[in-house]
Amino acid sequence: MSTQPTSTMVSDSIPMASSNPKDFAKKKRVNRSAKLKQCKLDARREQWLSQVKNKGSKEEPNGEGGACGQGIHVANERGNLMEKLAIMPQGKEEENGGCMNHYSDFDSPSNSPTSHTSSVLEGNDSGTNFTGGSSSSNSSSSGGCCSGSMSEEDNEEDDGCLDDWEAVADALAATDKKQEQHNSSLDSAPESDGNVVNMSSQVSGMDSSQQNPKGRGTLPGSPVSIRAWRPDDAFRPQSLPNLSKQYTFPMNSGRHYRGGSVWGCKSLSIPTSCPICCEDLDFTDTSFLPCPCGFRLCLFCHKRILEEDGRCPGCRKQYKHDLVEGETTRDAGCLMFRPARSCSMISRS
Amino acid sequence: MQASRARLFKEYKEVQREKTADPDIQLVCDDSNIFKWTALIKGPSETPYDGGVFQLAFSVPEQYPLQPPQVRFLTKIFHPNVHFKTGEICLDILKNAWSPAWTLQSVCRAIIALMAHPEPDSPLNCDSGNLLRSGDIRGFQSMARMYTRLAAMPKKG
Repeated sequence: MSTQPTSTMVSDSIPMASSNPKDFAKKKRVNRSAKLKQCKLDARREQWLSQVKNKGSKEEPNGEGGACGQGIHVANERGNLMEKLAIMPQGKEEENGGCMNHYSDFDSPSNSPTSHTSSVLEGNDSGTNFTGGSSSSNSSSSGGCCSGSMSEEDNEEDDGCLDDWEAVADALAATDKKQEQHNSSLDSAPESDGNVVNMSSQVSGMDSSQQNPKGRGTLPGSPVSIRAWRPDDAFRPQSLPNLSKQYTFPMNSGRHYRGGSVWGCKSLSIPTSCPICCEDLDFTDTSFLPCPCGFRLCLFCHKRILEEDGRCPGCRKQYKHDLVEGETTRDAGCLMFRPARSCSMISRS
Repeated sequence: MQASRARLFKEYKEVQREKTADPDIQLVCDDSNIFKWTALIKGPSETPYDGGVFQLAFSVPEQYPLQPPQVRFLTKIFHPNVHFKTGEICLDILKNAWSPAWTLQSVCRAIIALMAHPEPDSPLNCDSGNLLRSGDIRGFQSMARMYTRLAAMPKKG
């Protein structure tokens, strides 16, 4: 009665014990592959750094941090932008409208990565057009920045563009302020000019809002300007964060898409690791939807399942054959297949 | 092989993290072998197994999760779908209806559900199945309760 279970236990445990050394070897192999991966990453990083060095060498001879050079470049531009934007306040509405349209593209999660990149391109175009409307010299500078970041593949390169957008946001905030100021500063023109200088030297909008009362304090005895800045003080801290939020959130997602790291955004609806083998899903895996039930898994597990019973783990239905074919073409790793695949994914889901 | 190990390790962490999530299930991994697990499950209420604690033995194959784990009762149980001597369980999800998306935890839940809803038409325990199929619910319940008291409850005194 009791011998039967124990005998099965023993027979089970023998192969398990013998398999342990193999596991060790595998582990070692995995470690080595991880090291290789790290090497690749390092090499790529160096490559990128040298690219930036070449590009930024005109402005920064030491060029140690690419981001640093970019930051200075952007800071220089910021002043430009703000002055130019301040000249044409009516352009602001256009800019806002264009941006909102372009960001609504980002918000729809069903879009394929390729369509996202295209929308990013459009967004940059519209941005360039807008600045071109205000001043030709400005458009050329910001356009150059954008195109530079587009030609680069790496994520960090996009930070320049992000800064650029933030600069635009800051400039818009400054424009708002200047508008309000102009409304009230008919009597006190010299003070307001001083304030404008203060503002354009400030980088973040929040700081400038705190700076404004100080600027007023240095020039006492101007009741008109006090009256003018009262509502501004009340408004600024509320409206500014909103503005910056509007711009930074979509830009972050746009940056992810352009950088090619889609999982940062798509992780909202897609698991980050394969539910079967618990390995992290890479870009190809996250855009791989083998079953209409929506169950996602990595290509490796999908292949293993196909070799066995070929049923989806989520709904236990047989994987369809045409999808299997698509999977094999994907395994070839041809980039040209990507747009077609993502399109078909959308129609399927 | 590596995949099953990684997967089991993740399940282990999940179990450690959500120990209190399901108070009816206590899933423990063998100290030296991650392919051997033991589970303690509470008999569902309003069944003859209420108040009993049943021990399950998991033997996880290397092809896990593509292959289902082998599960059997270590505690004696009088149930139409559990072999009285070996503790083998007749449950579709442990055989052809297995899905790699299932976990050891979900297998425990399925077994608790099976205890509450026996399937007398595919019996491993013919005596128990016959009692149910002939409509002798009372006879089945008293037998099942007796074995629960004998095997699955702490001995008094």
